[in-house]
Amino acid sequence: MSNNRVSRRQFLNYTLTGVGGFMAAGMLMPMVRFAIDPALQVKAEGDFIQTSQKVADITEEPIKVDFTFEQVDAWYKSDVTEAAWVYKSGDTIVALSPVCKHLGCTVNWAGSPDHPDQFFCACHAGRYEKTGKNIPGTPPLGALDEYEVSEKDGFLMLGKKVPNTTV
Amino acid sequence: MFFNVKDVSQFQSQKDFIDTVIIPLVSVNLNDTMIKQSSSATEYLMSLTAFIEQQFKGRLMLMPPFTYLEQLKETISLISIKEEFQVAGFKHVMFITCDHSWTSFNHDVDVIWLPSIPLESMDKSVKMTILEDQLKQVIPVLSSKWSQS
Repeated sequence: MSNNRVSRRQFLNYTLTGVGGFMAAGMLMPMVRFAIDPALQVKAEGDFIQTSQKVADITEEPIKVDFTFEQVDAWYKSDVTEAAWVYKSGDTIVALSPVCKHLGCTVNWAGSPDHPDQFFCACHAGRYEKTGKNIPGTPPLGALDEYEVSEKDGFLMLGKKVPNTTV
Repeated sequence: MFFNVKDVSQFQSQKDFIDTVIIPLVSVNLNDTMIKQSSSATEYLMSLTAFIEQQFKGRLMLMPPFTYLEQLKETISLISIKEEFQVAGFKHVMFITCDHSWTSFNHDVDVIWLPSIPLESMDKSVKMTILEDQLKQVIPVLSSKWSQS
């Protein structure tokens, strides 16, 4: 015991190193965290929203698929239901947003008896081809947006709304 | 369009396209026996008008509901409301209500009356189906108005 005595100098060295180490760690930790923050961020599960539409049941004919997600607006939470027009083009699945690019009405497939193979907007008779391309001479100025598409357990998943990629 | 700043400024620049206004008429009855029915009708009318707005966003503007108590109803003049909205640039002024008494007031004013449906006891998918059915009742009224002009 007596030959293992810690001298005053040694004791002070140990304590100063220990406290200094904690202080340095306390300063460096947040810096490192900030630097690599994007990698730590939890990816929101809400990127893709599950629908009740079976992928196998999708045909060449566009069908309306409703999906619901929760929207938080300050402290007000609400369930928002949106829809997409979904069809198969070859092997790929296309999901178009039903929001008219003119003033935001909802468009319908074959909504006008005169144009059974086009999307039709009842507000101002805007029309779109099946690909979502707007037909010149009608009010809309752009093509319908589309949703990112994915599949899980045989069900269709819809993701972010992106500008139309096919036209 | 809703009656908010963003949509109203769009209305001001697109008056040619946004030519219809929908005004819900809501009766508030605080009577102990009627208050539930009154709130149910209001809930229904608000859901339905919001759905109509979603479908025809680019052509019509949905006003905040004009709300009244039963004993103050005589003071409301639909004709002067209609004129005021026409001056503001709306070609078609439609009132929508669950209050049956407005149907007797049909001269020169378009009132869509719908019997209220108790949505509160339904689950979400049934609610959507009911609203879609109700919307189909309203569409012909709107499109006949629009095809007149």
